[in-house]
Amino acid sequence: MASPQELSNFLSSVEQRAFKQAVYAVRDDDAALDIVQDAMIKLAEKYGDRPAAELPLVFTRILQNRIHDWFRRQKVRNTWVTLFSNMGKKSDENDDFDPLESLSAPDDSEIHQDGAYKLERSQLLQSLESEISKLPARQREAFLMRYWDELSITETALAMSCSEGSVKTHCSRATQALAKALKLKGITL
Amino acid sequence: MNRNNEDLLNSTEVDQFGLATAALLRQGSQSLPASIKDRLYAARLKALSLKKPEKVRVQQHVLANSTGNWSVGSRSFWDNVGWVAPLIVLVFGLIGIAQWQQDSRINDIAELDIALLTDDVPPDAYADSGFLGFLKNGPLADSEQDSLDSSKSPS
Repeated sequence: MASPQELSNFLSSVEQRAFKQAVYAVRDDDAALDIVQDAMIKLAEKYGDRPAAELPLVFTRILQNRIHDWFRRQKVRNTWVTLFSNMGKKSDENDDFDPLESLSAPDDSEIHQDGAYKLERSQLLQSLESEISKLPARQREAFLMRYWDELSITETALAMSCSEGSVKTHCSRATQALAKALKLKGITL
Repeated sequence: MNRNNEDLLNSTEVDQFGLATAALLRQGSQSLPASIKDRLYAARLKALSLKKPEKVRVQQHVLANSTGNWSVGSRSFWDNVGWVAPLIVLVFGLIGIAQWQQDSRINDIAELDIALLTDDVPPDAYADSGFLGFLKNGPLADSEQDSLDSSKSPS
């Protein structure tokens, strides 16, 4: 059974990674934070008595389920929003709206501190994260679990509820797609 | 077609690319904005406060422990004992009463036997009808009648 300290250490070690993975999937910081918080609470509430060795796999599965739930809710909400927006389309029209006003500039405060190297790494990371976000959901899940979460093929298959062969296929396709996309931008890892 | 095959990575290159990507992503995840880190920290504290409590095995001692105090078991244990204990006491009480009555009856018979065996008159005499007539009509009966009369008249 995981002690409170072990659980705290585990959550501390995975929270930032989980947040980034959620951001890649939902592309919204606030939603990603909510997803990670829900996943952490569910892990603590329901599976806090599991051995510490089982926590990574359980947490990964909970996180993926939370992301899938978010997409389901978004789909339902978008259906209603589209329906009502079509009904009141004329009254809601606003010609003064400027899309540029709603765009936020990336946080580059750290870039100027360490010079060209950090700029290059930051741009590389942005490109990589952008390409990861564009991957199909299953490929992205398999790729991140396999290489970032460092789960084995068996564990990844268990977390994704699919066969090991599917995991290998998803990982291979994700890697090929990423390599190809980065190569088009002149980036090699 | 050939160009596509040239672009494809083999399994070793796939793993190398994956690991390199993961290392880069790991570095990137360390440089999150402070506001995000604070919210993640708050979320972690909230999750830890809701942690499933550990199961504690409560030892249910029936007898007194070394200090002489009755240990406190779980409530369900005492609820069960609450109705079983009077039943056990009642059963043992009935068994005790039956045993005591049996001992008492044996003692009465033993006393009677002792009185018969230690009396001057042998036990066979009580089976003799002539002796019973002697007791009823003989001098012993008269003396007994006199003693009864004297007890009735106080003068």
